[in-house]
Amino acid sequence: MTVLAGIGFTAPWVLLGLLTLPILWLILRAVPPAPIRRLFPAVTLLLGLKDEESVSDRTPWWLLLLRMMAAAAIIIGLAGPVLNPSREQAGSGPLLLVLDGSWAGATRWSSTLDQIDAQLTEAGRAGRTVAILNLTVPEVPVFQAAEAWSGRLPGLVPMPWQPKPPQIEQALVALDQVEGGFETHWFSDRLAYDDSETILAALQARGGVTVYQSPSSVVGLLPAGYQDGVIQLTAQRAEAGPAERITVLAQGRDPAGVMRVLQSAEVEFAGGETQAQIELALPSELRARITRFEIQGERSAGAVTLTDDSLRRREVALIAGTRNREGLELLSPLHYLTQVLIPTADFVDGGLLDVLPANPDVIVLADVAKLSGGEQSALVEWVEEGGLLLRFAGPRMAASDLGRDEEDILLPVRLRSGGRSVGGAMSWGEAKGLAPFPESSPFYGLSVPGDVSVTTQVMAQPDPNLADRVIASLSDGTPLVTRKALGLGQVVLFHVTADAEWSSLPLSGLFVEMLDRLAVASAAKSRQESQLQGTTWEPIQVMDGFGTLSDAGNLSGVDGVDLVSGAIGPDLRPGLYESGKQKLALNVLTSDTVLSPAVWPPDVPIKGQEISTETPIGGILLSLALLLLTVDVIASLALSGRLGLAKVAATAVGVLLFVPQADAQTPADTDFALNATKELVLAHVLTGDAQVDDIAGAGMRGLAQTLFYRTSVEPAEPIGVDLERDELAFFPLLYWPITPQQPQPSAEAYAKLNAYLRSGGMILFDTRDSDVARFGASSPNGRKLQQLAAPLNIPSLEPVPRDHVLTRAFYLLQDFPGRYAGTEVWVEAAPLDAEQIEGMPFRNLNDNVTPVVIGGNDWAGAWAVDRNGQALLPVGRGYAGERQRELANRFGVNLVMHVLTGNYKSDQVHVPALLDRLGQ
Amino acid sequence: MNAALTLRERSEAEASRLPPLLARAEHLAGTVLLGDHGRRRSGLGDDFWQYRPAQIGDSRRMIDHRRSARGDQQFVREREWQIAQSVMLWVDQGASMRFASDKSLHTKADRARLLGLSTAILLVRGGERVGLTGTTLPPRRGNAQIVRLAQAWSEDAEADYAPPEHRAMIPHARAVFISDFLGPMDEVELALTKAADRGVRGVLLQVLDPTEESFPYRGRTIFESVGGTARHETLKAGELRDRYLERLANRKDALTQLCRATGWQLGLHHTGDSAQAALLWLYRALDGGTA
Repeated sequence: MTVLAGIGFTAPWVLLGLLTLPILWLILRAVPPAPIRRLFPAVTLLLGLKDEESVSDRTPWWLLLLRMMAAAAIIIGLAGPVLNPSREQAGSGPLLLVLDGSWAGATRWSSTLDQIDAQLTEAGRAGRTVAILNLTVPEVPVFQAAEAWSGRLPGLVPMPWQPKPPQIEQALVALDQVEGGFETHWFSDRLAYDDSETILAALQARGGVTVYQSPSSVVGLLPAGYQDGVIQLTAQRAEAGPAERITVLAQGRDPAGVMRVLQSAEVEFAGGETQAQIELALPSELRARITRFEIQGERSAGAVTLTDDSLRRREVALIAGTRNREGLELLSPLHYLTQVLIPTADFVDGGLLDVLPANPDVIVLADVAKLSGGEQSALVEWVEEGGLLLRFAGPRMAASDLGRDEEDILLPVRLRSGGRSVGGAMSWGEAKGLAPFPESSPFYGLSVPGDVSVTTQVMAQPDPNLADRVIASLSDGTPLVTRKALGLGQVVLFHVTADAEWSSLPLSGLFVEMLDRLAVASAAKSRQESQLQGTTWEPIQVMDGFGTLSDAGNLSGVDGVDLVSGAIGPDLRPGLYESGKQKLALNVLTSDTVLSPAVWPPDVPIKGQEISTETPIGGILLSLALLLLTVDVIASLALSGRLGLAKVAATAVGVLLFVPQADAQTPADTDFALNATKELVLAHVLTGDAQVDDIAGAGMRGLAQTLFYRTSVEPAEPIGVDLERDELAFFPLLYWPITPQQPQPSAEAYAKLNAYLRSGGMILFDTRDSDVARFGASSPNGRKLQQLAAPLNIPSLEPVPRDHVLTRAFYLLQDFPGRYAGTEVWVEAAPLDAEQIEGMPFRNLNDNVTPVVIGGNDWAGAWAVDRNGQALLPVGRGYAGERQRELANRFGVNLVMHVLTGNYKSDQVHVPALLDRLGQ
Repeated sequence: MNAALTLRERSEAEASRLPPLLARAEHLAGTVLLGDHGRRRSGLGDDFWQYRPAQIGDSRRMIDHRRSARGDQQFVREREWQIAQSVMLWVDQGASMRFASDKSLHTKADRARLLGLSTAILLVRGGERVGLTGTTLPPRRGNAQIVRLAQAWSEDAEADYAPPEHRAMIPHARAVFISDFLGPMDEVELALTKAADRGVRGVLLQVLDPTEESFPYRGRTIFESVGGTARHETLKAGELRDRYLERLANRKDALTQLCRATGWQLGLHHTGDSAQAALLWLYRALDGGTA
């Protein structure tokens, strides 16, 4: 392939054709354009005029240029140009592609795959056989045609572990089974691992090795630590580079159960540092929801760390010594504790022996002195397994002999009998405040408010180990809070009550902070190998190389010891494990992991991973040539005066070039709109019942005729509208006969109807059954009407009041019969504040047209006429029936007048004339 | 039988062409107010002029009894003096007239016929007799004559450049010649001198297409007459423009000289301009001759 200025040519000799362009130019220039024939009556005046020069007008330069460009595009296009041709010297012989295939390359996996694809293409072009060896999942490499591998590329995924010695060993065995030499391209993840040099040596023994690795460094996130109320996150990068800033996202489920980013924090690597730390202080509610931390923009298992029990809500059991103080909630020793713990903890209710099997994180004993032998031993066992026992003193404890002579196993210190009172009415001294917390105390750093005072306390015996156990003391040095470790757990004693009787501590914010520190410290249970001895952990969710969790399926359980000590690999996948009620997160990186960059011997060539895909552009050029020639055709036609023809050609080209787009508005739509708007048109809703629709149409026609003869409203032929299909905005009035069978309109149709009602349209609902039913749901039609109208935006209704404008919009009417002179007709209710003015016959009513008129008098039946104007259906009997039909017609006229003129007749201006007419 | 049918069909087809031309001509004529043409004095005529008291010397027959019966005085109804002039029209039906340089323009023939017919309508309304030069349609009055004129002008002539018809001209009548006058000049000369010999005076209206005035052509072009009898090929049409315009000006000059010698008036009209202006000019030019 010949390469010129970044563009390669598969057939460079064709480019010699470009040499013909100047010749073509000369020829095209020499040939005059075809003459234009023109009709010209004044040619008689031209006869005999000679041309001064014998050279004709030349073809315009731009047309020549156009043709030249077209010719050049064809020549270059045929030469097979390729953009970004690969310039590598293709090797020969079999090619082995080695992949680290670990999580470290997951973020850039797609570009790795692209490059492998490019290599496969190259190898396919060179006719080389290819094999792929994934070191994380080694298999015996099988040399195949490159095309066979292309289809299998999507199946290659990174694993959440790095090649470990067992896998290296497997790979070496697999390589031994391959005969002959081969060239190796090694796609490294840029992270060092043990024994990589062994396999490198094995590969170099068979042929040349080239290493491809991405330019960017690997970043990982170590498991989140938890200390003193803050989450500690450590990010690590393999190579110390310049200062870099990454964003860590804390993800979890929100109260609605949706995974979302709960918190994000910036972590900054200082220049030359590989570690960066950040502390996240989160509300405990939020903290308990976090399920994983990840580095934004990284898509690898190493950049994800899962959280387990250590961040979840604590379970607290509150047990008080005095239980029978009904009605004195504020005096309950547990009241303040409950208030403090409610936002952060779940309570376990019940007696001491009942709650112990639930394995709460904290058990609070408030002024409990006596524990039965069974209770005590169970409690000790629980504390030794890592529980936090929080005890509060109180009158009972002070009065008992608990821990008097020797240290009680469930008390941190020995207690003196009785305790002491200070600052009371009968005692010396003043109430004591708190001393600042010592550095060794878990409370260190909390500010001590001055208004916290202690009046009564139980006193600790001055034992040799007392000083170690005091974590808070009063200003005079007497211990206030003492703590001792017991097994994996600890016992903490507050030397005051949990309520405000002995001190004001429970009333202060300090109490909350102290409890928070204590209870949080209890939640971070460290997993010891001995503690997990003999347990089996079941994987719930496992993480793939990209850091996405998926259901573990039927993966087998893992021994607890392996879980803590074992290396992550095919048999121990990172993810969430469960044993009983405990959950444990196994992350790709552990807190002592150190990421180190891969180091290659100097004789191994290392290449970056940037790739530029080859793009053949011959097709584009040939299309361009076609386009230019088309333009040339049009331009030539225009020049020779056949512009009409040129227009046709341009249109044809346009049709060819662009897919004709369907008209937004079809002719049918336009016809409908034209028919509906040429004249005023009355419309009725098509119900699907042919008979009802025919009568409704005939009724509308009859009403239109009546209007035509009697008023200046001259409607055209009525239209039946399909609510789903037709636009309603054209019609001032919709007549909607109700049939029980008609389908419920769709949501879109209802949207249209509501818009129609809002914009001043009126719907006349007619249940057509007032001969047999009254208004309401007493008939099938009525029920159907209720169903149909439920989604409609209909205001409150009332029967037509005697002063409604419908009664005088054109005719003076008092009732509104149709074929049946039955029930009342309902319209929009008048506003409540409409009052009748003294001396006026009617109220000043609402300003707009009632959006609905509902009745059941089968008006269309009364209005219906055939094409000859003869009434279709009988109304009543004899003359009285005809009178009823006349009144029905008058109602129709009034209705249309009301729709068209609004409340015009409601205007008080008309009062004198109307009064005159009414004979008052 | 067959011949009659064919004739009928053809005449129907012809008739169907008439109304639009007639209607447009009537429309155009309606825009010109008839004012100056009446003689404004009593005399022989059809129209009522005035009542005047009977004088001595009036014959009894002249007394208008309807008016006189209203009072004691006797009145005589006088009529407006009307005399009829004969106007002969010639509109070029040649192929060269059937040309319009643009779709939005009317052909010269169309415009010439429209002007001719509108003039005829106006003249007929004014009580004149109108006809064609030559023997086909001698001057007559009345609306039927308009229809006949329209019919006569709905037929195209074969010749590329039709010579003016100058036979059977009534002495001392008026004449209107409408053409593009692009054909042979001697024919026009012959017609005009002949007319002048007979004391016929009148108007020449030259109707030209705008492109015939501007000659906006360029490049290699073959110019053809509408009938196809004459053609001229040039390699550079743009070069011809000046010389063409010079020739056109010469032709106009020749016409002006001719008119001056014979006492005719020469008008120029372009199809791109309003027909009404040309009609007004025509009407004025004719009226000036008759008054």
